[in-house]
Amino acid sequence: MSLTNPHSSSSAPSSARVQGMKRSVQAAFDDPSDRGLGSGYQSKVRVVDRYKVIGFISSGTYGRVYKAVGRQGQPGEFAIKKFKPDKEGEQIQYTGISQSAVREMALCSELSNLNVIRLVEIILEDKCIFMVFEYAEHDLLQIIHHHTQNPRCPIPATMVKSIMFQLLNGCQYLHANWVLHRDLKPANIMVTSAGQVKIGDLGLARLFHKPLHSLYGGDKVVVTIWYRAPELLLGSRHYTPAIDMWAVGCIFAELLSLRPIFKGEEAKMDSKKTVPFQRNQMQKIVDIMGMPTKERWPYLTSMHEYSSLGMLQTPMMHHHSHQHHHGSSKSSSASTSHLEEWYYRTIGAHAGSSTSSPAHGNQSGLASLGAEGYKLLAGLLEYDPEKRLTAQQALQHPFFSTGDKVSNNCFEGLKTSYPQRRVSQDDNDIRTSSLPGTKRSGLPDDSLARPAKRVKEA
Amino acid sequence: MAASFWESTQRRYWMFSKEELAQMREKLCDEDPKLDFSPIGHRVCPRESPRELTEYPEIARLGKRLGVRQQAIATAQLYIKRFYCKVEIRRTNPYLVITTALYLACKMEESPQHIRLVATEARSLWPDFLSLDTSRLGECEFFLISEMNSQLIIHQPYRTLATLQSDFYLTQDEINLSWSIINDHYVTDLPLLYPPHIVALTAILLSLVLRPNSMTGAAAASNIAAAGAALAQAQVGRGGMGSGTGAISSGQTTPGAPGATEKDKQQEARFGKVQRFAAFVAESQVDIEAMVDCTQEMISFYEVHEQYNDKATRDQINRFIKARGLDKA
Repeated sequence: MSLTNPHSSSSAPSSARVQGMKRSVQAAFDDPSDRGLGSGYQSKVRVVDRYKVIGFISSGTYGRVYKAVGRQGQPGEFAIKKFKPDKEGEQIQYTGISQSAVREMALCSELSNLNVIRLVEIILEDKCIFMVFEYAEHDLLQIIHHHTQNPRCPIPATMVKSIMFQLLNGCQYLHANWVLHRDLKPANIMVTSAGQVKIGDLGLARLFHKPLHSLYGGDKVVVTIWYRAPELLLGSRHYTPAIDMWAVGCIFAELLSLRPIFKGEEAKMDSKKTVPFQRNQMQKIVDIMGMPTKERWPYLTSMHEYSSLGMLQTPMMHHHSHQHHHGSSKSSSASTSHLEEWYYRTIGAHAGSSTSSPAHGNQSGLASLGAEGYKLLAGLLEYDPEKRLTAQQALQHPFFSTGDKVSNNCFEGLKTSYPQRRVSQDDNDIRTSSLPGTKRSGLPDDSLARPAKRVKEA
Repeated sequence: MAASFWESTQRRYWMFSKEELAQMREKLCDEDPKLDFSPIGHRVCPRESPRELTEYPEIARLGKRLGVRQQAIATAQLYIKRFYCKVEIRRTNPYLVITTALYLACKMEESPQHIRLVATEARSLWPDFLSLDTSRLGECEFFLISEMNSQLIIHQPYRTLATLQSDFYLTQDEINLSWSIINDHYVTDLPLLYPPHIVALTAILLSLVLRPNSMTGAAAASNIAAAGAALAQAQVGRGGMGSGTGAISSGQTTPGAPGATEKDKQQEARFGKVQRFAAFVAESQVDIEAMVDCTQEMISFYEVHEQYNDKATRDQINRFIKARGLDKA
């Protein structure tokens, strides 16, 4: 494993520095305090004995993720998620494991599906939790970002199709097992170098079979704002796997246009900790999808924030619309959806701007996704959660059975390759620098200005 | 996994035969010859596991103080059982383990309790045996999760009961009785021996044949007989080459003579339910032998329960805690 660190290629002193850094990344796992003191809990396995850390990947509110290889002949590479221990003063204390870590540990131990990230083992050592996962070279955020770089070019249609199929397959597995993910977004969808899509980060996931309390009672706010379903924005007390399907729809749209389809601004919680109405986000949705109506969504009026809809402006999408297809019958009222327009503009514009000839076929323009692509998108971005496509229905959608064949390697036939995930050797002192927010070393931080993580535990 | 018990870690890693359980426990005991107190809680059969009989009221007391739901208590009980399959009880402070298991189970069952509150309540409940602070609770949580390999999702018979109660036209009384029988089975080894649906079906069967206040002597014996008869019928029905259910219904004449009293009618209704139940079991793929064993274990558990001397076991546990200073360490 070569360390693609900018310093390492230059002069001798700096490579010495890299060596030093490398040691201290390792040191992050090597907490000497408290060892061998009497009767306390001792792990049977030591992380440093089993794994060699080769770099730092990212950090978040939960802790940090490192890249590692096995020391005891385990094949492949690993991503080790280290949960941040709580501190009281300078002394690290056992303070009880957070509910989200407990959920993630329990669910990952149970789940087994090709399209869900695989847990290798969990090591509990020195007051820290280390979750060892199979390593995935890419994620959708990184892939989308790569396509926005010069020159900006769309993700090939066959790749979009393969990603969507695998993503839906993973969702279907989760939902069939009564697991809601509740935080689907490009950054949480991993892609291996073999082109396999893996749903990751189950930190917000939970079982929804016969809950003891309403789901709303547990976590007041779920799903990163841009991917949050309308029923959540409107304060629904109960929700279903359909919230994940909305997020999948948003991800589909983002794969096509390379930017979040509903890029709203999050209203912060006020001092009283009441959950605010996410007016700006809802407005972004209404701008494209039209105003929801109780004809389209019968339960709309019983939503907690129904009255807030009145605060929104009627959608304005006066884009040079060359009304597609059956554009006539729909009156252009506030409730008219502009999604179809959005879709054809998106796949059309790409096809037009790319210089390759349409004869180039499958891989270039997105136009080959055709009308079925729109229908799938519209089915996922359906206002009424009861009418929204389920993962199972989406998998059986004609989108996947017509046109290009679906591959289970999303990179199949691709000539370009994506840059490897960057791992860094700096920023490795686990004690001092743990800023909240998902700061990724892999991306410059960040023209995309992704919203930070979501949850407020009740 | 969560939907399918058959693929769950519970079935794959946490179900044992009686022999396996006995071996595991014996091994634990042998590994610690120095712990020379009279061995407790190392018997296989539910009728002989007094330790849990003491543990249960204790965890229920803590649960009650914290307002914890029965489902979370049940999960905690199974955590404790799993833990003591791997760790010799006399190395631990059972009160600490009980507290920690309940704290963890509440998180898993999505009704979390604050660690400080749990610690405070446990301390005031067992002031003599627990010098508990949050950090010891947190440490024990690591111990528990580690011994359970982070396999924390528990499949419970309550769910099967909820699904089947309408199929069998159970009355509220029968549902309640089934529910309590399921609660009680967590005191025994049954959750380590049989899948939750077997336990649920056994509980339903017992709720149909057991009558309130009939837990003693001859009445109990006749109840076992009734349950056994129903299962035997089911077995015959399954073997009976398609004519199964017919054989069952024709094999017995229903008491329904003119002028039947109210009591008779009730009995008749109940009898019909038992028939229905037997027919269901006969037609399904359910392991009837497992149900027979499960039924016997539950009945003998109830018998033992009556004679059980809680104080003796409690004293025994408290003695080893004090002797080894486990309350302070």
